[in-house]
Amino acid sequence: MINATKKWIFLKISSIILIPLMVWFIINLVSIYEKDYVAIVSFFSTQPSKFLTSLLMIVAFFYSSLSISEIFEDYIHDEKVKSVANKALTIFAIIIPLITIIIIFNLTI
Amino acid sequence: MSKENPLSPHIQIYSWNISSLISISHRIIGVINIAALTLVCLWIALLLLGEANYEYIKFFLQSFLGKFLILGLTWSFSFQILSEIRHLFWDFGYGFELITSKITGLIVIFGSFILTILIFLFSKQIF
Repeated sequence: MINATKKWIFLKISSIILIPLMVWFIINLVSIYEKDYVAIVSFFSTQPSKFLTSLLMIVAFFYSSLSISEIFEDYIHDEKVKSVANKALTIFAIIIPLITIIIIFNLTI
Repeated sequence: MSKENPLSPHIQIYSWNISSLISISHRIIGVINIAALTLVCLWIALLLLGEANYEYIKFFLQSFLGKFLILGLTWSFSFQILSEIRHLFWDFGYGFELITSKITGLIVIFGSFILTILIFLFSKQIF
């Protein structure tokens, strides 16, 4: 299987996982964003919230890095610049969810 | 002869229609959503500062600008959810006919506003 096919399959699998997670997250975000500190930390402290938010972050950033690299492919024509941009994108897509997950698992009231 | 891959004409060459509008919007909104999700990560990180410091963030989120940002995020999520479902139908081989593609495009545009309202009503437990 060529790399482009693998990338397409990964994009589609992550898209299928991402849709219900986005629905779940946005409904909960709208219901808690105005609340006080304790209510928000309590939300992120439950096991389902920890698990689903972590999964959302991993899948969303993974999906984004794949799809933004497609945008780079279309609009960046310098191979060196494209390579640096893709590396920076990969690092960003690993670091941000990783830090967020560590924070979520360490939140206490 | 140039070894570079041939490029398709850029978007400004084509006349606008529903398909191209949704296509470029899907990309732009995808990038906006990951930027917004990065801000959500920052919001979660700011919870570490403790209850007293969170009052500033709470004040911002309760302001008009804060509410507008959350409303905008809800719409951009709604748009991407519907547009992503449209893409998945294409991937399974459905919806390629011109008229079907136009109808599903319109459903994505108008549906994103309806879904935003429904998410707000559901989240605020209005129904």
